[in-house]
Amino acid sequence: MKQDIKSWADKYESITNSDQTIAAMSKYYSCSFMFDMEACKVIIEMHDGKVKHINTNPGPLDAYDFALRASEQTWREFSQPIPKPMYHGIWSASFRKDLKIEGNHLVLMQNLRNFTVQFELLRKSGVPV
Amino acid sequence: MAKHSPVTGRYVTFDVDGKEYKVFYLQNGKGQPLVCQHTAGCHNHQWRGLLEDEEITKNYNVIAYDLPRHGKSDPPHNTEWWKEEYKLTADHFCNFIVKFCDALELENPIFMGSSFGGNVALQLALRRPDRFKAVIPVEAADHSPGFYLDWWRHPHANAAQVCGSGVWDLMAPQSPEKDRWLTWHYYTQGAETFKGDLYFYSVDHDLRDELKNIQGRKCPVIMMTGTYDYLTPPEATENTARQIKGGVYIEMDDIGHFPMSENHDVFRVYLKEALRIIRERTDG
Repeated sequence: MKQDIKSWADKYESITNSDQTIAAMSKYYSCSFMFDMEACKVIIEMHDGKVKHINTNPGPLDAYDFALRASEQTWREFSQPIPKPMYHGIWSASFRKDLKIEGNHLVLMQNLRNFTVQFELLRKSGVPV
Repeated sequence: MAKHSPVTGRYVTFDVDGKEYKVFYLQNGKGQPLVCQHTAGCHNHQWRGLLEDEEITKNYNVIAYDLPRHGKSDPPHNTEWWKEEYKLTADHFCNFIVKFCDALELENPIFMGSSFGGNVALQLALRRPDRFKAVIPVEAADHSPGFYLDWWRHPHANAAQVCGSGVWDLMAPQSPEKDRWLTWHYYTQGAETFKGDLYFYSVDHDLRDELKNIQGRKCPVIMMTGTYDYLTPPEATENTARQIKGGVYIEMDDIGHFPMSENHDVFRVYLKEALRIIRERTDG
């Protein structure tokens, strides 16, 4: 069943902020990124490893560092407890599926360790599409 | 209670193309030599499970070296290597492996490598079928473009973390978390060599017009790829094996691009099958 966007944001924030792997190296994990799931878009702002704010209704001029854009079906695949091959990460899905990584790639690379861990938390939170 | 591993490490020094290398290798077992190449930007601990696998080391002399510039093998001692960008070539890679086998006086070794080690296994099958009993290219293909990226050593990012987390998706989510993080840990140690290794992997290695010349009946080629490998996906390996005379393709379920390091318990099942086929096709 599709989750309400605000309920999803609360859950994702809670799961992120209590994740031990992120907490182990959280200092300086500060950046913002958009998850573009077609019908649903969010901007997640991180500060020192914690979710500072999740913008669940971003306007056209709301800023972020980088964005992940893919079809709703791809996001649903990302959120499976054990994703199918090629849906198991942003590298695999951008090489082999429809995921587009846009914006400032340098910020993504500077935060890749923690972002990768946080992205996989979608397997626990699910997605709102 | 302390426990010693049966695995031992040694250094051997020899020249390759005018470069003096002091090479570190791990060894355990007896019988048929099985020489193992780690993946790009990594080192021989990726083979830790195989090196201590009693069933395999009972009949196979498992040798896993660190390629120069990786792990405990230094860059060349007789050149000012820091004054030029490192770019591994197919010629030098092949010459190194043959010289290593010569230095250890290995007779008819089986060569196995993963990723860029798998690609060089194909190069060896093409160039030196006389020197190797068989090759096992793991996660390999005739051509593997797309990974020679500046991000691996970009000065504005933490290169160690970029390398470690940049290869994270190459592993299957089913592989044990402990082994995936060990592999991540190894990758944080090789940031300065990873991109140079990938010059071979994604640029210099291109056998698309040469597969027909590999003598797979003289030197059996047993290729294996995991279903979660997005760099050389199963269809790329299968397509390569199909074009090699006598080439064999084995698909490995629920495993990724670093099978020996991310999940040895799954990998060993397929490896034993590869070794069985080699025994069947050779004199033992």
